[in-house]
Amino acid sequence: MVLQTLDSLGPLHGYAIAARLEQVSGGALQLNMGTLYPALMRLEQRGLLRGNWGTTETNRKARFYAVTPTGRRQLARERHAWDRRAGIIHTLLRGEA
Amino acid sequence: MRMLREWSRRLCGTLLQRRRDSDLEQELRLHRELAAENARHRGLNSTDSARAARLKAGGTSQAMDALRDQRGVPWLDDLTRDAEHGIRMLRRTPVFTVVALLTLALGIGANTAIFSIVNGVILRPLDYPKPEQLMYLTTEFPVLRLTGNALSVQEYLEFRQINQSFAMVGAYRTIGGAYTTGEVNLLAGDRPLRVRSISVDARLLNTLGVQPAQGRFFNQEETDRAGGLAPPLAILSSELWQTAFGGQPVIGQTLNINGRPHEILGIMPPSIDVMDNRTAIWLPLGLPAAIRQNRSFHILHVIGRLKDGVTAQAAQTELNLFLENWGERTGSSGHVPTNHPSRAADHTLQMQPVQDAIIGDARRSIWILQVAVGFVLLIACANLANLLMARAESRRREFAVRAALGASRSRLLRQTMTEGVMLCVAGGMLGLWLARVAVQGLIGAYPTSVPRMSEIAIDLSVLLFALGVSMATGVLFGVAPVAQRRIDDLVTAFKEGGDRGASAAGRHHIRRTLVAAEVALAVMLVIGAGLLIRTVDNLTSVDAGFDRSRLVTFSMTLAEPYDPDTRAPAYQRLLDKLRVTPGVQGAAVMSGLPPNRSPEAIPTRIENHTASDGSPVEIIDYYQFVMGDYFETMGVPIVAGRSFKPADAASPGRVVIVNETLANRIWKGRNPIGQRVWPNLSAAIGFGGNSWHTVIGVAKDVKQGGVEKPTGTELYVSLDQLAMAAPTMNVVLRTTLPPGSLSRTLDRLVRDVDRAVPIVRLREMDAVFAESIRRPRLLAQLLGAFAGLALLLAAVGTYGVLSYMVTERRREIGVRMALGASRSSVIGLVMKQGLHATVIGVVVGVAGAFAANRMMGSLLFGVRPTDAATMAGVVATISTVAAVACWLPGWRASRLDPNVVLRAD
Repeated sequence: MVLQTLDSLGPLHGYAIAARLEQVSGGALQLNMGTLYPALMRLEQRGLLRGNWGTTETNRKARFYAVTPTGRRQLARERHAWDRRAGIIHTLLRGEA
Repeated sequence: MRMLREWSRRLCGTLLQRRRDSDLEQELRLHRELAAENARHRGLNSTDSARAARLKAGGTSQAMDALRDQRGVPWLDDLTRDAEHGIRMLRRTPVFTVVALLTLALGIGANTAIFSIVNGVILRPLDYPKPEQLMYLTTEFPVLRLTGNALSVQEYLEFRQINQSFAMVGAYRTIGGAYTTGEVNLLAGDRPLRVRSISVDARLLNTLGVQPAQGRFFNQEETDRAGGLAPPLAILSSELWQTAFGGQPVIGQTLNINGRPHEILGIMPPSIDVMDNRTAIWLPLGLPAAIRQNRSFHILHVIGRLKDGVTAQAAQTELNLFLENWGERTGSSGHVPTNHPSRAADHTLQMQPVQDAIIGDARRSIWILQVAVGFVLLIACANLANLLMARAESRRREFAVRAALGASRSRLLRQTMTEGVMLCVAGGMLGLWLARVAVQGLIGAYPTSVPRMSEIAIDLSVLLFALGVSMATGVLFGVAPVAQRRIDDLVTAFKEGGDRGASAAGRHHIRRTLVAAEVALAVMLVIGAGLLIRTVDNLTSVDAGFDRSRLVTFSMTLAEPYDPDTRAPAYQRLLDKLRVTPGVQGAAVMSGLPPNRSPEAIPTRIENHTASDGSPVEIIDYYQFVMGDYFETMGVPIVAGRSFKPADAASPGRVVIVNETLANRIWKGRNPIGQRVWPNLSAAIGFGGNSWHTVIGVAKDVKQGGVEKPTGTELYVSLDQLAMAAPTMNVVLRTTLPPGSLSRTLDRLVRDVDRAVPIVRLREMDAVFAESIRRPRLLAQLLGAFAGLALLLAAVGTYGVLSYMVTERRREIGVRMALGASRSSVIGLVMKQGLHATVIGVVVGVAGAFAANRMMGSLLFGVRPTDAATMAGVVATISTVAAVACWLPGWRASRLDPNVVLRAD
């Protein structure tokens, strides 16, 4: 989800990612800092993201995360895998009902 | 793959701290601020908006913890934190730390030092390619109980011919014969040297599989040449080349060896040797025809290399097959090896891996030492476990608080283990240093007490061993305190914390068991050491058969161009000069120096006598060729008849003197004086001609072949009468002067006889005997030291545990005393606690000693493994030490002032 957000919106800082996810999910997903930042760090350690310090539109120093090429490939793989899984489940649930 | 990358980054994160805490904090702060702003936008006031932001974003510190965990490897971070905490704790208790470190350093150091011996001598393979393929062949005379002898030339040639198991077989020779006696005289510049030598055939060098470091080796034509002397060629050991020639180019130069110029053909690679001979110079094997043909001259040491894929077992089976009909197989008759030796001269062949042959019976001593230091380390561990347990008791509050704050049991276990391992690593490093010093000291002080001594070093496997032992020790005594401790919940800890009652009976139980175990181990060690010390005592006090005080001896060799006839007057001249030297009361010359001779087993005819096996010859163990006032100088009493007189030299009737053992064996109560024997001089010394000799005296038995062995039969022949002498002789002086002050004079006198002849091993006879028992002495000294250490540690341990119990029970003791308990009853109370454990330990230890000391049976002399006196002495000593260790805390307890104690808490 984080990858998808960053892929579609470009580099964002942590709060913006959380806000975006909350907005997209219609408030269903509320990530607190203890979940969000370790996740970002993990993605960064896996080489899917890269974080750099920059300034926000309100002129604050913030760490912006961008998807790396590896991250983009990973996102495509995951998206594909999800589509398949969702497709199968969809078929199963709807098809039999 | 991705996981791998994540973890490697995490590891980097730990080691390099890529993102600092402040960096993370800043990011979180921004998040919170933005959240708060967002909330404000939605119309909340500043306090509410901050609160809402916190609610939504979660706690900063929790997020930080999660981030830190994600950033690095959590347990690695914990480890660093534990280590920091541990160092702080250790620094706060310096006495504990120093005691623990010292105990560990001694325990680990001793273990590492002994393991470096085990490793260098027993475990490390020899320095040849595929050393496990090398087998050493020996001749055994079971009836004569002579073991590990050399082969005859014919046997060697026949074996080489018929065997199928060996790819190559080679031979060498170190002693015997006129040319080399295992040592040669060398002239390096104008400095006369005596160095150890070996005479080898080209096949042996091939068999060993070594290549020359420089130059070349002998070829077969050079070493197999029949008849006469070997060609004057030599190969230097790398060590001799360095020490005597300073590593200068020497190939092709000539070197004066035993008076003959030799060409230096090559240099051996460093540390290459044969059978631990400490060879300095390699010479070609020369076999005179007489020796080549005579099947009873056992002079060749044979080493074979097994073919690839052939096991030692298979080779031995093949050899046994040969021994069934050696004569028929090889077409030889007479003195052939057999599988069924029954008469004295019958012999059989045996093989064993070269490494086993080199180590021989030292293996058992070395393993015993390793077990002993293992015991010392166990005692040290028990002590440290006790110390840590005591410390853990005083840290119960700390642990309870940590447990209450959410630390898991395994987390706390890790903390104590980290501290244990830290102590051990520090102790291990100290120990390693100690071991290095000890090993170097040992090699310096006892260069030849252990085979392969020069190969003992602290190498990688020793380092790994030290590390392993340290780690194992740390884990062992780090776990102990936790294993017995329940992590108290906060309430109990604080409730009990103030009240040091006798509530912890279980804890005391474990500690008393540890004390009992320590005492048991110490008892076993001390009994073992006691037995060995008695052994050395017995060996030292064996009557060698002569008065060895104020006796100085050295050896010298008159090599080429001397012959037997010219040597005698040379030695005579030297003796004449020595006799008139101030401070010298007597001087004589002998062929063999007791007590290091190996039996010569010379078949000798005796008039009107048939040996017990029906053979016409009796095997006599030793011939001693003497010159001058031998018996008077040595102080060997003549039991019957008379000793040699100067007048004998001129008289035509040849005379001999026999020792008591020989007289009793042959003439059994009849008068030996006037009987005649036919000494086999040609076999014994190679000159003199054989003829009937009349026995003129019986001398007291002299321990020629080792103080621990039964005295053999011996025949004394007068070289004055033969007017000939062997090349190498031992000069012996009765003098009041120490060897040091004599050496100048002796140097001058020997130089007067021959400028190129060095004086070899000038020392007191007492030193010669001391050296002959150097291995049991070394073993006794080391084991004694370890036993002493064990005893000390066990005493300290007992004292420590009781002291701690007293401290814990101060209040109870105070109450007792306030209620009227006498001082002696308090002492009794404490001592009972300690002595109970000690008695159990002593009983277990004595039982263990009974079981384990059987292993030592073969190392003891004049004392049985179950010697009651030693055991009683040890039990008494240990009981005394334990009683003192128990009494001290008791006495301290009895000095407590109830007033002070009861007010203290």
